[in-house]
Amino acid sequence: MRLLKTLIPGDIAAGLALTGKYFGKVFFSANRKKVRAHLKHFTQEYPEIPVRLAPRFRGRLTLLKDEQGEIKCVCCLACEKICPTQVITIEKGKMEGRKMPYPVRYDFEMERCIFCEFCVESCGFDSIILNHQFELAAYNREDFSLGMEGLGQNMFAPSPVGKYSVAED
Amino acid sequence: MFKSEEMEINLGPQHPSTHGVLRVKLRLDGETVVKCTPVIGYLHRGLEKICENKTYFQGQVWTDRMDYVAAISNNLGWVEGVEKLFGIETPRRARYIRTMLTEMNRIASHLLWLATHALDIGAMTVFLYAFRERELLLDLFEAFCGARLTTTAFRIGGLREDLPPGFVKQARAFQAIFPERLEEYETLLSENRIWKKRTVGVARINAEDCIALGVTGPVLRAAGVPYDIRKAFPSAAYAEMDFEIPTRPEADTYARYLVRLAEMRQSHRIIQQCLDGLPEGPVMAKIPKILKSEVNEVYHAIEAPKGELGYYFVGEKGGVNPYRMHVRAPSFVNLQALPKMIEGRLLADVIAAIGTLDVVLGEIDR
Ligand code: SF4
Ligand code: SF4
Repeated sequence: MRLLKTLIPGDIAAGLALTGKYFGKVFFSANRKKVRAHLKHFTQEYPEIPVRLAPRFRGRLTLLKDEQGEIKCVCCLACEKICPTQVITIEKGKMEGRKMPYPVRYDFEMERCIFCEFCVESCGFDSIILNHQFELAAYNREDFSLGMEGLGQNMFAPSPVGKYSVAED
Repeated sequence: MFKSEEMEINLGPQHPSTHGVLRVKLRLDGETVVKCTPVIGYLHRGLEKICENKTYFQGQVWTDRMDYVAAISNNLGWVEGVEKLFGIETPRRARYIRTMLTEMNRIASHLLWLATHALDIGAMTVFLYAFRERELLLDLFEAFCGARLTTTAFRIGGLREDLPPGFVKQARAFQAIFPERLEEYETLLSENRIWKKRTVGVARINAEDCIALGVTGPVLRAAGVPYDIRKAFPSAAYAEMDFEIPTRPEADTYARYLVRLAEMRQSHRIIQQCLDGLPEGPVMAKIPKILKSEVNEVYHAIEAPKGELGYYFVGEKGGVNPYRMHVRAPSFVNLQALPKMIEGRLLADVIAAIGTLDVVLGEIDR
């Protein structure tokens, strides 16, 4: 009995049948449009084909402006206080013709941000969001210090585009 | 003719099969392990101390980074521990959603274990298949909270937001295919002669030793002890769920494999019950804006995928952060069983033993 089992490798054959089944499915449907639902590719050709993210995806912190182009932030400092890694620094200021305080500086050190979204949650004025940007790598440390102005590295820019980033192409 | 002497070698800390930065000092006689000493601490970040300097609300983000393959379980332990400290009641719907996500996380963690354990022992295909299903779960986590790994999924008092639209449908789609996929893994492994040769009878540890060392989770259950915190001290919505505790008497690597597969089936059952019986209602309780504690101490344990995960809080009077916070990490305690399992056995079994313990170094070193 034992010898028979060794000679006829049923267990290995069952495994091979399974992998063969998948191989066949992929092989015979490779050039057809209609791929069966569960055979949808799990690996993506990422840089060429953009990734689809969930609506709640937590990316880089962005300051928002309202319809008049005014910064929505009113310097209540709630986000600065709640941030677990203390990466937001805000300087309060006044602007002509604006009742609410106005952020003179809004500094954000992205290298230490952990994308927890606590800041967005704490903001009662909906003036910040975490956008869907995830290609955040850069070559220099300075590229991670974002502020309200700067060379395309500011908090309103859709994304901090690194020199060799895919997003640039 | 040949002089024989014992030799000491290091396994790790950069060996791919030690699952991170675990270093194991091994004293070998030929190929037999005479003595084994795990050396830990390469990933120490002082998480407990950091959490003592953060508020109860902020501390949760650090729990993601302990057992990073089961972040939602860690979140659950933290928020429930804090809720216990402050006596906060969570709405029923929030508890159901928490239970569901934690069970999904258990499946994801067990899938990662299966994938890497099989890969260590030499079965490549299972790795790819298990990651395929884990991907579906990570997509669900991303849809729910916006992150795939470091989730920060729950909030003290409930959830930040309700389930996103389409979540239930997506979860049901996963539920529909998963049992079939589990059978595929079994086809590949359960009867496979190479797999059985590498696992049956390997790295035994009996129930007495498990209990003496404090080992919990699937390792303890595979030694025949039906201890599961979900049943023993139910939190979240586990008391309302109908599920079994799978156990095996053999206490070897193969038994632990079977127990974990059976656990995935039970988790699948719990998710189904959560989806079917999801109550309506709010997901957030009314809690004060700033949580200030009294002098109080609380220990709260949950059943993480790896075993008993406990949080111990000591509150100060009027303090917004814990005076002392301690984590009882299951991987840390389970790792103590490693010398017992492999001393006197072959070097190749060390890899199987580390894999079967399912340790995550982020949690061991904290
Ligand atoms: S996402 Fe978290 S870490 Fe990043 S800035 Fe906001 S609060 Fe701070
Ligand atoms: S919480 Fe909102 S309004 Fe307050 S400082 Fe931060 S961004 Fe500005």
